[in-house]
Amino acid sequence: MTMIVERVGLTTVQDFGRSGWAHIGVPHSGAADRTSFLLANRLAGNAPNAAMFETSGGIALRMLADTAVVITGADCDATIDDRPLSRCKATRVRAGQLVHIYRVHTGVRSYVAFAGGIGAPHQLGSLSHDTLSDIAPLRLTVGTTITLGVTHHASSSLDISVNPRSSARLGLIRGPHYDLFDIKFLEQLVHQPWRVSSESSRIGIRLRGAPLPHGEWHELPSFPLVRGAVQITPGGELVVMLADHPTTGGYPVIGVLATADVDDVAQRPAEHTVAWSWIAR
Amino acid sequence: MPPESPRVVAYGYAASIIDGLGAGVAAALRDSVVHACAAEQLVVTDVVVGARSVVVTHDSTAAPAIREILQHLSTHFATHSIPTNGPMIEIAVRYDGDDLHDVAEHCGLSVNDVVALHSAAAYVVEFCGFSPGFAYLAGLPTSLHLPRRATPRPRVPRGAVAIAATYSAVYPRESPGGWHLIGTTTHELWDIARTPPAALAPGTSVRFVQMP
Repeated sequence: MTMIVERVGLTTVQDFGRSGWAHIGVPHSGAADRTSFLLANRLAGNAPNAAMFETSGGIALRMLADTAVVITGADCDATIDDRPLSRCKATRVRAGQLVHIYRVHTGVRSYVAFAGGIGAPHQLGSLSHDTLSDIAPLRLTVGTTITLGVTHHASSSLDISVNPRSSARLGLIRGPHYDLFDIKFLEQLVHQPWRVSSESSRIGIRLRGAPLPHGEWHELPSFPLVRGAVQITPGGELVVMLADHPTTGGYPVIGVLATADVDDVAQRPAEHTVAWSWIAR
Repeated sequence: MPPESPRVVAYGYAASIIDGLGAGVAAALRDSVVHACAAEQLVVTDVVVGARSVVVTHDSTAAPAIREILQHLSTHFATHSIPTNGPMIEIAVRYDGDDLHDVAEHCGLSVNDVVALHSAAAYVVEFCGFSPGFAYLAGLPTSLHLPRRATPRPRVPRGAVAIAATYSAVYPRESPGGWHLIGTTTHELWDIARTPPAALAPGTSVRFVQMP
């Protein structure tokens, strides 16, 4: 074992997720913001899929061996013992030191990777904690011990720390049920701001806006959902499917976010405003 | 409404959907899609079945090749009947569900009729969803079709045998649920340590056998 969890807020272990099980109802899961996740592994010298911590509520880890730590994603207050720990660079950390991530700000999720990546027995080929199904190969509580694997290549650092991208407008590709709606409805959908609800989670980002012209849509025969699919609920809310989204659903999918824009929306805190524009498919 | 004939469209940059399929086609089509993608050495993430659709998630660069496969299979499947070639599973049920009497009353049947109808029917897994290992079983006799309960239960026990709308199902583990509970089984529907972890996958044939 290489470290012990001394304090833990809302934090899960994530890798790139579970592929190949959605047809029996298992969500893909994995890092919610894949760009920040992949960057952390690259800087830590890890394989692209190596498991790390995804934290919204902070975590404190007591080191039992020398290693290196990298933080990416949302800006956060972090220290090694009492020294501030900056993001987007590989920082040496020695046995006995405490790596502490406090408050997460300018975003929702920070990614904390260690050289070698978190090692533990997989479940269905992944270490990801799927919060919808409660599949958690490695559940984090005070006292949990973490073992690291081996690095893949040399660790490195960026010249500057980068914040998750926050676009003025997110690109929406027409979804499979776009044609069920009339043009006036679709125009209003992109011409009004949408506000991120506090009920958002790793399962989906819920968005509220001004009431839309009354729709006559109803539940459809259940169909598979994908990451980034934007469902419209009978109450007029939009829900963007995130990492732990259910495998099937029945509300119309009006659009699908461009792949990179899913990472963007995953980092929008409650009350943040989101705007869209339709892009060609 | 979904179109009457199958169509293949983009589902974002990294997925493709074929929808408008006939009842019972999607599960069989899934097998063909998996095989065709393997034969063409196309890497896919997931091939997921819906009630009338199949979705392939893939790398964006593979989109044209995968949509071509789906298009080809849709015309093939439109002219060929689909044999059910999945395995057959028998699930032993004790018909002791909390809603059994209500179901009988709402359907204008006796409890014995409900049990006889439910256990005599032949079911096929149309698709999975809701929770790992939860299979939507098509084949429920029309006289047992009922809307979901107005108020879902916060806790439905593992192994509960239930019906709602045109489907029957078994809850693979304790979860909330709005279906009518008519019985219980000890059949292990979901075991993450087993290969495969789900007892029921799309295309699997199922029969319920009444336990005394």
